[in-house]
Amino acid sequence: MTERDDGLKQAIELLKRPVSLDSSFDERVMKNLESVRRPRTWTRSLWTVADWMSTGRTLTVSPLQGLGLVAGLAALLFVGRMWLMPESAISPERAAAIGETALVQFVIVAPTAESVSLVGDFNDWRASETPLRRVEDNGVWSVSVPLSAGRYRYAFLVDGATWLSDPSAPPALDDEFGRPGSVLTIGEL
Amino acid sequence: MRGSLGMFDMKGQSDGILVRRVLEGDTAAYAGLITRYRDRLARYATRMLGNSADAEDALQDAFVRGYRYLARCTDPERFGAWLFGILVNRCRTLGSQRARRQRLIIDDQAALERASVSHSEGDEALRDAIEHAVAQLQPDQREAFLLKYVEEMSYQEMKQLTGARISALKMRVARARQELRQLLAEVDDD
Repeated sequence: MTERDDGLKQAIELLKRPVSLDSSFDERVMKNLESVRRPRTWTRSLWTVADWMSTGRTLTVSPLQGLGLVAGLAALLFVGRMWLMPESAISPERAAAIGETALVQFVIVAPTAESVSLVGDFNDWRASETPLRRVEDNGVWSVSVPLSAGRYRYAFLVDGATWLSDPSAPPALDDEFGRPGSVLTIGEL
Repeated sequence: MRGSLGMFDMKGQSDGILVRRVLEGDTAAYAGLITRYRDRLARYATRMLGNSADAEDALQDAFVRGYRYLARCTDPERFGAWLFGILVNRCRTLGSQRARRQRLIIDDQAALERASVSHSEGDEALRDAIEHAVAQLQPDQREAFLLKYVEEMSYQEMKQLTGARISALKMRVARARQELRQLLAEVDDD
């Protein structure tokens, strides 16, 4: 900063001053945690397993084992398709029927992208939290996210820099930073 | 990131140790993390949102979300940086909701009047003037300015936290400085 920034320097020093919270703050937060489901390490294990399953693997099997594997995969795919519903197919009844959460699939076509992330209220807009995977050579990217009933704002972040709204969902009109975004509503609010 | 995000406390319990204790069922260990980070996070939220009530809401929300999703903190030793990211986004969301409700700071006539008092009339008037000027910045410029100069983060850290490109962040900081210079000069002229 230059000399003519003296006013700014003064402002920054003032803004750096500590802010005091009510002394009961810690206690109130801890009290709130009582109503929150306790975090468990197995959640990360599940993500690890999901990552492992979605990574290409080479398996050596006998012809008989191969037949069994094909049958098993067909069954898994059938069940999977029942759960991995496109976002537009999620209805309040469906969300209610599933119970706590609905598994919502987010899809976008971005043929030239090197990476795509889903950012939204549900992951605190963290770019690294929910990466999409390229599922087809024609540039289709997809990810499925378990969401409970509610209204969510979200966007796709392409190559860590370009924000895109979901062309298949209503636009979010209340983004503070004027970025493109979309709205997804699950269940009755 | 400078400061205490990811350091040991006086008891020698690192963030990683406390996070593992919480994940193993010791909820009380989370109190140690709250105590460690509350002041720094409270400062950011207060400067970003412009009033202590909204700041406390954002901070509580961030701590509760941090607890709920703790298993997704991929680097427990850097819990502080992870939590800061959650707070930044809670402030965005809350700021957006508040913007729809009303412009609290700008609509506050008393604050406006205090802001126009000369610096020489006291530290409180100066503080009000600066807070008022910061509140008038565009939210993304205010965020970038606070992260850069108040939280003393590098542009790389800011990029990781906000998802924005470094060039965009530099532009926001430059515009915020320019705007603040102008606003503070206007206060001096009054």
